[in-house]
Amino acid sequence: MSDSLNARLKQLIVTTLKLEDVTPEQLADDEPLIGSGLNLDSIDALELVVTLEKEFGIKISSSEESRQALASIAHLAEFIRARADPSRLPG
Amino acid sequence: MPLPPAVRLAASDCLTALGDAGSTHAALLRGEVALQLRPVLGADGAEAVPLAVVPGRGYDETAPPNWLGPLQALAAPLAGGGWGTARRPVFVTSSNFGVGSLYAYRRHGDTAHLAYGTPHACVDWLAAALGWGPHVTTVSHACVSAHLGLLLASRVLQAGLAEAALVFSFDFISPFVAGGFHALKILNAGMPAPYADRPTGSIGLGDGAAYAVLTRDRGEFALEGQSLHNEMHHFTANRADGAGFAACLEPVRAAAAGRRVWLKGHGTGTLEAGRLESAALAAAFPGAPLVGWKGSLGHTLGSCGLVELALACVALRTGRVPGTVGASGPGFQPAVAFAEISARDTDGVICASNAFGGAHAAFLLGHA
Repeated sequence: MSDSLNARLKQLIVTTLKLEDVTPEQLADDEPLIGSGLNLDSIDALELVVTLEKEFGIKISSSEESRQALASIAHLAEFIRARADPSRLPG
Repeated sequence: MPLPPAVRLAASDCLTALGDAGSTHAALLRGEVALQLRPVLGADGAEAVPLAVVPGRGYDETAPPNWLGPLQALAAPLAGGGWGTARRPVFVTSSNFGVGSLYAYRRHGDTAHLAYGTPHACVDWLAAALGWGPHVTTVSHACVSAHLGLLLASRVLQAGLAEAALVFSFDFISPFVAGGFHALKILNAGMPAPYADRPTGSIGLGDGAAYAVLTRDRGEFALEGQSLHNEMHHFTANRADGAGFAACLEPVRAAAAGRRVWLKGHGTGTLEAGRLESAALAAAFPGAPLVGWKGSLGHTLGSCGLVELALACVALRTGRVPGTVGASGPGFQPAVAFAEISARDTDGVICASNAFGGAHAAFLLGHA
């Protein structure tokens, strides 16, 4: 389930943020999302958080929590697994 | 921007969820918190967040807007002043004007809202309601809008183009505006605690309107050392080294050299900006006590500079400075004052505001 969730997150990141020169497969699980690596900014983070909340039925309650969750794909997957209804996670 | 010479402040007042400047100042001294948790999208519900709405005014938009009545009451002392003429121009500032009306139209499909959904439509309508002439300038620069209005008015006076200038500002919160801050997660279910060192930050939003009458040589207070600076770094973030805050404060620090001041900071309740701002203020004004009032009033957005100027005038007049209501220690800096302080042994106050887009503003206010 971990691999499929990670793969789904990578796909969401690429499609939500319309990343043109990056494919989901190119994203590493430990790649930083904000400030370095992909170099996403706070507006990207806003778009991504809205998408994640809808997709997985989770709630990110503060900007600090958002920053923690978006530290990397692996962090994000862990954050979602801890909060989402299992039925909403990819099998 | 070069500093304009000092101008005088002949009159000022504000409107917050706690009333006019006198009532708000008194309530802050009592430690009252105007913010209340209410659904961010108003009638459409969603998470409850801290909002401070003027009593009797609904949070959801109406057409005509339900903030005209409170604005007319605030402006009543200005009636008959000949405002809006070449010699007595008006500068209207806001970060939002009636933008909530567009969202109301989107929600309800009522075209009556569209007459108030743009800055110029809003200001034209306001000018007609308040009897202003055509010399009305509309200014918006996010949450330092009021500071920019003060600076422009000061320049007109110093150039000899006017005998007096009215700076008027209003920001009434709405589901549209609050929804935007909520989407960024900086407006959340937590109550703001400005300058408090805690794990999670949060802000509140509040209604705010205010005015100031500026002249060259008449008035109880002097407005000096106005500074505006943009660090040109990022839309929603500051440079991590705090250089933008420091650069804005430097001209004001120079203007206040040799004077004992207290500090009214921006202090919305966000952690990163609160740390950077309080550190920059402590470095520029070592030992000066720092207070912020948005933990009670909420962030009154583009009007905060003028709202807090009116409150600072009352504090200077009475010698009593409300503390950082809504927060408690430990603070980011030892100089953060959570309880009331005295202004009697000081020579003025530094008022600072910050905004999205990397904008910073500050001025020195003292007795004339």
